[in-house]
Amino acid sequence: MSDFLQLGSPNERPRAPRLDELDLKFSDQALAELDELYSHYPDKKSCILPGLWIAQREYGGYLNGEAIAEVAYHLKRSYAEVEGVATFYSMYNTVHAVGKHMIEVCTCLSCQVCGAYPVAEYLKKKLGVGFGETTEDGVFTLHEVECLNACDRAPVLQVGSSYHGPVDEKSIDALLENLRAQEESTVIQMANDIVKVQTGPLKSK
Amino acid sequence: MATVAATDTVNIVINDVDLQVPKGELVVEAVKRLGHEIPIFCYHPRMKPVGMCRMCLVEVGFKQPDGSVRKMPKPQAGCTLPVSEGMVIYTDTEMVHRDRKGVLEFLLINHPLDCPVCDRGGECPLQNNTIFYGPSTSRYIDIKRHAPKAFPLSEYVTLDLERCIQCGRCVRFTEEISGDAQLAFRFRGAAMQPSTFKLTDFDSKFSGNVIEICPVGALTSSKYRFRARPWDLETSEGLCLECGNGCNVWLDHRAAKLVRVNGRTNEAINEEWTCDKGKFGHDYYNSSKRLTQPLRREGDRFVPVSWGEAYAEIAAHLGAKSAALVGSTVSNEGLFCLQKLFKDGFGSENIDHRWTRTLPAAGERVAKRHESSIASLEHKKTVLVFGADLANSQPIVHLRVRKGWFLNETRVVVAHSQTTDADSFANLLLSCKPGSLDDLAMGLERAVAEAQKTDVQGFASFKDTEKTTSVKESALREVAAMLLEGNASIVCTASIYNENKPVETLAALAKIAAATGAEFNVYAEGGNDEGAMALGVMTGRNTHEILQDCAMGDLNALWLVGADPLTLHPSRRLAEDALEAVPFLVYQGLLECEAMGYASIVLPMEAPGEHDGTYTNIEGRVQRMQQAVKNPGDGKPAWRVFSELLVRIKPGRPSFSAKEIMDEIAATHPAFAEATYDKLEKEGTPLKPVIENFYM
Repeated sequence: MSDFLQLGSPNERPRAPRLDELDLKFSDQALAELDELYSHYPDKKSCILPGLWIAQREYGGYLNGEAIAEVAYHLKRSYAEVEGVATFYSMYNTVHAVGKHMIEVCTCLSCQVCGAYPVAEYLKKKLGVGFGETTEDGVFTLHEVECLNACDRAPVLQVGSSYHGPVDEKSIDALLENLRAQEESTVIQMANDIVKVQTGPLKSK
Repeated sequence: MATVAATDTVNIVINDVDLQVPKGELVVEAVKRLGHEIPIFCYHPRMKPVGMCRMCLVEVGFKQPDGSVRKMPKPQAGCTLPVSEGMVIYTDTEMVHRDRKGVLEFLLINHPLDCPVCDRGGECPLQNNTIFYGPSTSRYIDIKRHAPKAFPLSEYVTLDLERCIQCGRCVRFTEEISGDAQLAFRFRGAAMQPSTFKLTDFDSKFSGNVIEICPVGALTSSKYRFRARPWDLETSEGLCLECGNGCNVWLDHRAAKLVRVNGRTNEAINEEWTCDKGKFGHDYYNSSKRLTQPLRREGDRFVPVSWGEAYAEIAAHLGAKSAALVGSTVSNEGLFCLQKLFKDGFGSENIDHRWTRTLPAAGERVAKRHESSIASLEHKKTVLVFGADLANSQPIVHLRVRKGWFLNETRVVVAHSQTTDADSFANLLLSCKPGSLDDLAMGLERAVAEAQKTDVQGFASFKDTEKTTSVKESALREVAAMLLEGNASIVCTASIYNENKPVETLAALAKIAAATGAEFNVYAEGGNDEGAMALGVMTGRNTHEILQDCAMGDLNALWLVGADPLTLHPSRRLAEDALEAVPFLVYQGLLECEAMGYASIVLPMEAPGEHDGTYTNIEGRVQRMQQAVKNPGDGKPAWRVFSELLVRIKPGRPSFSAKEIMDEIAATHPAFAEATYDKLEKEGTPLKPVIENFYM
């Protein structure tokens, strides 16, 4: 019961933005997709996952605080609840901004046996970054992931919504070459693919 | 044993004892009936079970036709399993104990075991369960997971992530009970942590409760941190008087100093919750600005005097041309003695305790102020919250209304010109233009009248109402239809007297209530305001008139009882003029304040927890608070000052204790007939509505 606070000052604590302070960025298309989603689910709470995919696309592949707050704003949920959902799933990029293409190296058992570690080392050397880092030109982000469920193609990489495997140094060179030449970001492409599936017509019974 | 209808109960066996329990009851609750205990962390009786911690594992089997028991191969979580016919539950077998040991070993792997420096140490469910059921040593030899310690989530709540066992009680509390959903689990697996959005400020009106329900020391109070150990604390049953809800609290004190306030269970009022105002707002007990002795003005300074000298001074100056203004935390006894002192001692009737903009005269006041009890609000079909920001002014009523909405499908209609916390769950929102609540009430009255096909002559048309309030006709009609469905309650608070034309607004609402059969409430705001109204303290001139009379020089003396007009009165200017002009001012209060600067005599008052007393909450429930801590100085309870002074003016037998005064109140005020100290019940005694005009 003392005014003396041991830790920091309450005035320095960051404050969550009020709803009227948000800088809303969803495009008209995104809002239309959200409207479509509402008709697929009983309530707006159920739309958090697909809503986050829309946000991931709209915000360039990275769900920062503003993206999460905007989803919460549209779905009338609390910020914390949406953030809790977003940080639970590893396919939402909530930890740091990602490059144009995200290369995910599977290092689980089968891939590891078939040489995932040398592949990863080669990628690290070639791109000059470690796991969880983005190249300086902002094109590639390298990630280590758990089993991609494609042991038949071990060692396997995931780039956007496509798998590449089995890979060796030569095919990695070719893959990187192709990706460099590609205009569109595979990260956004993948988010868009998922949104399309989720907002597509409901299957008739 | 009472016989219960066969369809509603099931026969189960717990630890070889046969018993009948209601169908669908959870195993953890059923076991309590026998006095047995299942250890728990995540389960909380007031929240939905989630089965996160696995501490409540029990062995469950079913009776077979041949009389044998077939056990389920794996243990079951008692907190998520409802009982069913023929269920056989074992809570004390070797397997159960082995399971508990295993669960605790896992929970303790990453727990830092820093109990010696943990605020929870000594009252920690994890500590207790580990001692009863846990392994004596750990087999884990690797380095524990580490996280930042003592992160300040807000001014009041400190988060210690390492200690968290991910039970989710705090997350569920903000989701289910307080409703702001400020906390959530972020990340997953070993990194899972309960925290706010991006670790921003935990800005909730009920954040203090998560400290109490946390089964470990992960969420601790920033204010109580390192102030005391639980075994050094003495605790007393107390009441919170920050608002009129009358929440029951535990006042924990150490070496005669109040160090923390915790919620105390009272099913009729606060269940077990407190609001942050109540939990963290009792700083004044230990304030360095506490008044400790009577003071007399001599020139431009105060000199300490004895109580006798102070009394003599007051007796010499106060007479028929004096008045008293009362604050909201004076006990029933104090109010009664004040009334007696002014009437019998000074021959004056000028007492008031209200500080709103409009002060209705006796004839204009609402006849009944609390038809719905707090507890009954959760069972209403419709609750219309009219012109009140419940979360701010009546936090516990807010929680009840929300509970009804969350669990019992109560439809909540919020009519206000501002945004309130209740908007987030309101089924219908009538947000009107500022200052148009009176028009809204009339519009609603018309909608009800039309729905009942009664005469609507003299009412403004819906179009005009929409123009003045911006509320649409369809919305008004919808609310009218909801109210007419029955089992409805209209909730206002005394803050409506700060709005435009409150008397007309309340009259319209009262008519709506009468027409629809809805219960009508105008809850008082301050700690014991309801008590002051039930005792009929306000007589003679009202607050505005008293201050005007002082400013005009019509009154010779003014006595401020725990009230500072400079902060309480809507017009600071009038208050300043009055205090400036009045020749003799007595300030009686807890703390030094601005009004004290004008005083001729200053009297120290005891805080509510420093003396015996009863208080009446918004629903007219009289509750007793016993002395918890000692007054730091020479303060006296208000009632003692008044009765001691009365003896000096008019010799007679003074009241020696609060109990005696309460007996006197019970004898003279029929409403308080059941509220003597001998008869007061554990949960407080509701006032008896015996005479029609007792609600004056």
